[in-house]
Amino acid sequence: MTWNGPLNKIDDFRYEIPSSYRGVKNNLHMKTSAIIYATEDMIPQIRKDNAPEQTANMATLPGIVGKAMAMPDIHWGYGFPIGGVAATDAEEGVISPGGVGFDINCGVRLVRTNLHINDLDKKKIHSLVDELFRNVPSGVGSKAKIKVSSQELDEVLVSGARWAVEHGYGWKEDTEFLEENGCLDYADPSTVSIKAKQRGAPQIGSLGAGNHFLEIQKVEEIFDREVAKVFGIEDIGQIVVMIHTGSRGLGHQVCSDHLQVLERAVRKYNIWLPDRQLACAPVKSSEGERYFKAMACAANFAWCNRQMIVHWVRESFEKVLNTPAEDLGMHIVYDVCHNIAKLEEHEINGRKRNVYVHRKGATRAFGPGRSEIPMKYRDVGQPVLIPGDMGTESYLLHGTRESEETFGSTCHGAGRVMSRAEALRHFRGQTIVEQLGGKGIYVHPASLKVAAEEAPDAYKNIRSVVDAVHGAGISRKVARFVPLGVVKG
Amino acid sequence: MKTYEIIDHTADIGIKAYGETIEEAFENVAKGMFDIITDNSHIDSIGEYMIELEADDLEQLLVDWLSELLFLSSTYNLVFGFFDVKIGDKKLSAIVRGEEYNLDKHKMGVEIKAVTYHMLEVHTTKPIYVQVLFDI
Repeated sequence: MTWNGPLNKIDDFRYEIPSSYRGVKNNLHMKTSAIIYATEDMIPQIRKDNAPEQTANMATLPGIVGKAMAMPDIHWGYGFPIGGVAATDAEEGVISPGGVGFDINCGVRLVRTNLHINDLDKKKIHSLVDELFRNVPSGVGSKAKIKVSSQELDEVLVSGARWAVEHGYGWKEDTEFLEENGCLDYADPSTVSIKAKQRGAPQIGSLGAGNHFLEIQKVEEIFDREVAKVFGIEDIGQIVVMIHTGSRGLGHQVCSDHLQVLERAVRKYNIWLPDRQLACAPVKSSEGERYFKAMACAANFAWCNRQMIVHWVRESFEKVLNTPAEDLGMHIVYDVCHNIAKLEEHEINGRKRNVYVHRKGATRAFGPGRSEIPMKYRDVGQPVLIPGDMGTESYLLHGTRESEETFGSTCHGAGRVMSRAEALRHFRGQTIVEQLGGKGIYVHPASLKVAAEEAPDAYKNIRSVVDAVHGAGISRKVARFVPLGVVKG
Repeated sequence: MKTYEIIDHTADIGIKAYGETIEEAFENVAKGMFDIITDNSHIDSIGEYMIELEADDLEQLLVDWLSELLFLSSTYNLVFGFFDVKIGDKKLSAIVRGEEYNLDKHKMGVEIKAVTYHMLEVHTTKPIYVQVLFDI
């Protein structure tokens, strides 16, 4: 299908769906215009699915503040498109699980090392990848290596990454370098169903499947040496580790449970919506508040999850290289979530306002000076981590003051252009693994099928996505990484 | 007769399942879901669960039915291959049989995160079918 609606070019990086697109006097008219961040060459691909219509749908949400926005990695999603960003008023607005996604706090974490590519030969890289594959549970239905009681799980939901560190998974300094310090403090486990907890408990500390990965990467290019240095990235060839995963079954169940509740709330509060999957409730309603608190629990679960994985990554490096992780300088650079809604303060038309910022497949990218950023980074802006798809490249960016126009948000990744079935028709898993091997990338997939489904050509080109947000100024390039070894769930 | 077909979707995957009766369509869509999860592996009937559900309408009942199976699968590491469904007055009762998921025996398909409301359809007159899209 092709979307044929109006996309007016504002500049080289911004396209607008005017607020008049849906008419002006009806229940489903757009309350504001919608902006899609993209370059001209990306527009035909963006028009290929119904994602622009979904961006227009976002503009109909009650209490929306500013514009409805979509990042260059925009593609079709349930409710909001993937790449969607919208802020709603903290008093009069609504909150929508469709603006967060099923995988609550799906996110990315970057660990630096003192290692250089010259320190690792092919054999060592293979050993590291195989050890990571053994040490970090991955794949469909991957299960935890540890058992948590229901009381312990509640503690995880309340304290997030801190729980992991307190229980020996990681270093004391770690939580300082996570978005929100790895914990949303309004989490309330009583809003999470027993089912969600049962589903989550056996999956804590697991990578999962699909597009989630664990990669050993090397620094291939540095765009901004000064900022890179602040983030602990010093040299071309430096080794880093990237982790991409979320809240597993717990987050999926929280989303499913609350979608059902909010479906009924839509009728109760007489909210008009163009799409059932935009189900939402007023932020001050009990339904809205309960979703928000449950979402925070799932977010905390995800931070704890990534924290445990970092611990096992350090363990694996220690074992294979026979050197303590401290001596390898394996500090966390940062951790971002790209499926989340948060209560934040933003300056809108010169006035400070509290808003609920929904980021669905979008990353927070706060500029210099904001108090949410660790002191060490505050002068240069928040580190932003953009994972590529399997075997291509990933990026480190930094937040800018200009990102206030997107409520401090930027892109999150590449985005699929080909369905899994289509990818399976086009590619063979074995061939993909061999081709990547030929490029010096060692892939250990949970199955060959997943290697074919996640083939690099099934995704949008990450480089054009990053160039578009860089060009628009809503974040800036710092460094580019290429993978050496991939653990694929 | 075809029991179900896969709906191809850029980011996700769906099923359109047929049946002589609506019960049969509900059984076939469940079979299709576990074919996706296990990449069409054979599943033995070793254990049994009873499922009782009630919803406002058949569409919601379909979402609840598949969500319940997904919950059992994901929480207890089970996969199911046999389904006997009875539906009456927006109530569903079912007996499902299956076994523990085992990588030595079953293939690894796709991890399904959730059952969505998108393109959701329950067609109760001929041709009888149900349609659903999963988030993966």
